[in-house]
Amino acid sequence: MRIPPGLTAGDFGSAVTQFEQVVGREWVFTSDEDLNLYRDAYSPLFGEPEERVASGAVAPNSVEQVQQVVKIANTYKIPIYPISTGRNLGYGGAAPAYSGSVVLDLKRMNRILEVSERNASCLVEPGVSYFDLCKYIEDKNLKLWVDVPDPGWGSVIGNALDHGGGYTTALYRNHFDAHCGMEVVLANGEVIRTGMGALPGAGTWQQFKFGVGPWIDGIFSQSNFGIVTKMGFWLMPIPDAYLSGTVSVPRHSDLIRLVDILTYIENAGVSNGMPMIGMLGSGFPGLGGPRDKELGALLARPGGAPPEEIERLALQKGIPYWNCSLRFYGPAKAVAAQWEHTKEKFSAIPGATFQDGELLRLPLTPEQRQRVHKPEFGIPSLEMFSIGARSEINPNPTNGHMWFSPIIPRTGEAVFEAQRVLSQASRDLKLPFNISAIPTMYWLRAFVLIIAFPITRDIATNKRNRDAFNRLVQIAAEHGWGEYRTAPVFMDAVAGAYSYNSNALMRFHETIKDAVDPNGIISAGRYGIWPKHLRGNRA
Amino acid sequence: MASRREFLQFGIAASALPITGATGLSSDLLHSGEPARLPLYKVVFDERFADSVRFGVEMKRLGVPTHAIQGDITDFWLHDLDPRWKKAPVAIAGLTAHGPLFCLERLSWDHRMRVVFSAEHRSLGDGRIEHAISGPDIMLRHAAELVAGGPNWAAHIAAVVTHCPPGRSQISRTTIITPLATATDDEQEPLMSWVIAPVDAVRRNLT
Repeated sequence: MRIPPGLTAGDFGSAVTQFEQVVGREWVFTSDEDLNLYRDAYSPLFGEPEERVASGAVAPNSVEQVQQVVKIANTYKIPIYPISTGRNLGYGGAAPAYSGSVVLDLKRMNRILEVSERNASCLVEPGVSYFDLCKYIEDKNLKLWVDVPDPGWGSVIGNALDHGGGYTTALYRNHFDAHCGMEVVLANGEVIRTGMGALPGAGTWQQFKFGVGPWIDGIFSQSNFGIVTKMGFWLMPIPDAYLSGTVSVPRHSDLIRLVDILTYIENAGVSNGMPMIGMLGSGFPGLGGPRDKELGALLARPGGAPPEEIERLALQKGIPYWNCSLRFYGPAKAVAAQWEHTKEKFSAIPGATFQDGELLRLPLTPEQRQRVHKPEFGIPSLEMFSIGARSEINPNPTNGHMWFSPIIPRTGEAVFEAQRVLSQASRDLKLPFNISAIPTMYWLRAFVLIIAFPITRDIATNKRNRDAFNRLVQIAAEHGWGEYRTAPVFMDAVAGAYSYNSNALMRFHETIKDAVDPNGIISAGRYGIWPKHLRGNRA
Repeated sequence: MASRREFLQFGIAASALPITGATGLSSDLLHSGEPARLPLYKVVFDERFADSVRFGVEMKRLGVPTHAIQGDITDFWLHDLDPRWKKAPVAIAGLTAHGPLFCLERLSWDHRMRVVFSAEHRSLGDGRIEHAISGPDIMLRHAAELVAGGPNWAAHIAAVVTHCPPGRSQISRTTIITPLATATDDEQEPLMSWVIAPVDAVRRNLT
């Protein structure tokens, strides 16, 4: 039997017996065969002695059982690591941040407690996946969409708590923002409800987020201050229609005005869908421009090619430097008018051209469902796992990835600066791939760069990539760019970059941690927050 | 040195997983003297790959129900497999790229199922293909016939997969090299043949 750090075999054995009394013998896992299921398939430490692994797993099926497990963990000072479905691939999966923790597997708590079509909201438990919720809604023929991530097999609660995003409208695709009300089991076993959930008899738990007084929901995301056992979400009424369109601009410097106009268009509510920006040759479906061998060779040059050289060749060939696709959800007449208005605004850029997308009436027909990017229509999918197949745009499929995903200002100038800095870094670090630093817009108001580092079969390569990743975190921080989310192995480095006023924010987090979880049992090390007894021994 | 793919095969590395399903066997098989075979609910093949299609064709010929995909297993899992597994876990097999196996294996874990046979079929870039096989001894004995099969290895793997035994099995590994089916297959990413089966559940499934 594996033993959690700091425990004796005798104490852990006693705790396991008590866990079994609470959840039943069949729901306590201590064998290697079972515990290997909790390994992170995308771990950058996979197969190395430092890989974060579980010492045990307990799977309760009710809030009351969670409370009792937490009390036992407190008695024996057992580190526990709550997971919902454990499918947060690229950000840790089911593996604990602190190796040797006991995974608190909430997958059995998979009840959809309420879906209100009138209020367009739901209340779910942590084990409910996007597939589960969408199927429930479809089976009941409710006129609602769930904004889903890609892939969609993860937990609705888990994804929101880790600040995941989706692909529909701005109101819903920030999954944490779209939540309304929580139930949390604290480290002492007490249960709290946030917002209107704290008011006995209120029928507004999923309608008004704040209740009165401090709004504390945020401290339970990307943290270790409690175990979320219920969460409400706002759902999207199925719109009448969907329209997309693409704007193309010819010159490298056009990105600055492109972004400014796009920002206006979104902030003014003219376009409510998720825009995407693509650079020529970037490989984005529909946004990378036509394939051209000469241009492709230039872009593939180790360390990248100067923008002016790329632009010169692209202008000769009549290939636009930037493409931006926009999406509109709403009444058919309204989305058509919004796209026309959008085109008028972008016409201010000399040489801008436009491509009208297909107007789709909703709900989609079965044939349409097969050919669209499903998450844009609230349809969960595992399709992205098929892109590992070797193809022109993916000639060397890898064994997983870790995401380097800094937030940068939402301006064209910031994109250029990020491209310059990260391209230089990729040369200095001798990365075997060029960092293209194309911004994505899961959220309004800021860009996030999503850069995939491959996980390979080779430990030495993985180590080099980890070192490069950590160096990129530092380089980004030196320029004011911080990651929005990361895998456990990088959490200390990423959280450490948010260091204003001698790490005042982290010290505040630690103050909260010490107050609400004095034994430090919940998710030690998650997002750099360590309990007091481990603070001098950070991984 | 472990890799993600080795991780995916951990169920095999556990060396002696109990596999259930014998109750679904026909009495003919149980009493004919031939070793019992695990009944396969469905076999998955990927229309994007010629070898996988050959595998599917052979499975059909052998009378095993097949399901064609083009990389994405969502519909198969959501509308067919998941409802079936919620009633009771049943064995499936396939010859696919790594992605579909990755998904199906993880989804099967919730029903106390494991990968009990797998083989990676990787082009060596010289007109030959390497088959790195892990599975019950009886399947490896059948796999030895791959050599005689020459370039039509996918059809032979289909036959191998149908010989997966129910019950606890000793797991072994072997590597076999055969000619590629066609020269263009040199460019193809490695394919995986696999069997996912219920293990003898001490515990109930997780759903």
